[in-house]
Amino acid sequence: MTQDAMIDEWYPVGLVSQLDSFGRKTALMGEPIDVASDADGNARVTANGRTLPVCVRYGHVWSSLGQPQKELFAIPEADQPGRRFVDVGVVRVRCSPLRAVENFLDIAHFPFVHTDILGSEPHTEVQNYKVEIREDADEVWATQVKFYQPQAARSASGGITTEYMYRVPAPTCSVLYKTCPPRPGEWDVITLFVQPLAEDLCDVWPWMALFDDESSMTDLIHFQQTIFLQDRSILENQIPRLLPLDPGMEIPTRADLTSVAYRRWLKRHGYTYGAQLVAQ
Amino acid sequence: MLSDPTGSWTPVALSVDLPPGTVVPARTPAGPIALWRSASGRPSASADRCPHRGMRLSHGFVRGETLSCIYHGWSYGAAGNCLRIPAHPGLSPPETIRVATHPVEEAGGVIWVGVGEPATQPPQLAGLVPLRSLQAQAGMAALEAAAGAKADENGLLETTQNSQEIRLLLAFQERDETLIHVLLDGDSSLLERIAVSRAVEALRRKAEAIEAEGSSR
Repeated sequence: MTQDAMIDEWYPVGLVSQLDSFGRKTALMGEPIDVASDADGNARVTANGRTLPVCVRYGHVWSSLGQPQKELFAIPEADQPGRRFVDVGVVRVRCSPLRAVENFLDIAHFPFVHTDILGSEPHTEVQNYKVEIREDADEVWATQVKFYQPQAARSASGGITTEYMYRVPAPTCSVLYKTCPPRPGEWDVITLFVQPLAEDLCDVWPWMALFDDESSMTDLIHFQQTIFLQDRSILENQIPRLLPLDPGMEIPTRADLTSVAYRRWLKRHGYTYGAQLVAQ
Repeated sequence: MLSDPTGSWTPVALSVDLPPGTVVPARTPAGPIALWRSASGRPSASADRCPHRGMRLSHGFVRGETLSCIYHGWSYGAAGNCLRIPAHPGLSPPETIRVATHPVEEAGGVIWVGVGEPATQPPQLAGLVPLRSLQAQAGMAALEAAAGAKADENGLLETTQNSQEIRLLLAFQERDETLIHVLLDGDSSLLERIAVSRAVEALRRKAEAIEAEGSSR
């Protein structure tokens, strides 16, 4: 699958805060790689002796097996004063990296998978929202997504109707903008950076840029890890393990329009690492 | 497993292991199923995959007379038709949204699931009652070799182990995996039950050793 258009994309391969000279042995799209800091303390990523492109951003080291044609996508909020940046760590999931992103874009599962945290019965209805593929930025966007949440964030006390915006700026990355309980008018930023280890195995690196002066770092990390571990119990039990890009295998409804747009965008670009096509 | 030209029955579980309001994963020769029992006690078997996003239905939950997927709560009736999509409470799901179902027969404490359309009923195990089930990491051939006896066309195998007479109902799971149901005379004493249970565990270990030896060669 190395002919895939995804080869030239940037992928997260580790936390900047955990770089050391001994290096971290991991993998990228099936190839073993080594992530370390060099004598000057800069991140260095190698595959079989070959030095790979590197950039350091949003708490993570990013690399690519190919030749990235553009810089890593921008998250302007990452430079905004007053935010706390949270390295949540890593969750390994035995699923397609694309399934991990698609699950992140889904709100209808909140009452059943994140029960009494991100959703609860009988508040299961997904109201209409807007989805578009923004041609100028070449990103998938979903806006005006609203959902009732018993505990939307670590900093939330009691239930609120939360508003969400989702963006997919890269095939295995998504950025979520979410109502910020302590600071109305601002958005909390929660990202999902997915490292494709193989077509059916990935390391998920969530990262956050929040307005929250109250919660301890430990509590913030625990909250997100709880959520992602609940998601893992789903992701490792979907059949097939790869994301079906052609219609027929699964049944979307109006609530799944973000997923429909994401799949269409992947297919249009030939981003098929971790995808299942009917032809295969 | 009883086969006829139109289909076959597999003893997938014991009645006692499927209380009302629960769902468990099970296997037939045609693949994995979600086996569930409604609140009123009716057993049903469906494909172990929700057609919405491919989630295993055996991870789901039973409420009343429906089975729901744990991912988005889509619920299905015993006939396999989708009854409710919680994200769209006002929508009546179209008939086309459904999961494949299998016939289920429950008799003498054993739940049988049909593959295809078997023309006959599952076999009667007259006078016998099930004691327990256990999973062996061994194929049918290894179990038969360990028992020194062949299973009949219904999967029933009779043998003597540690001078204990035992009767087993075997269900194919995978090439190297078999589900064993232990059967007893209805009037067996507690001590007899314990002795049979231990004898079957010994038989399982023996079969697993044979299987392991065979696959390492």
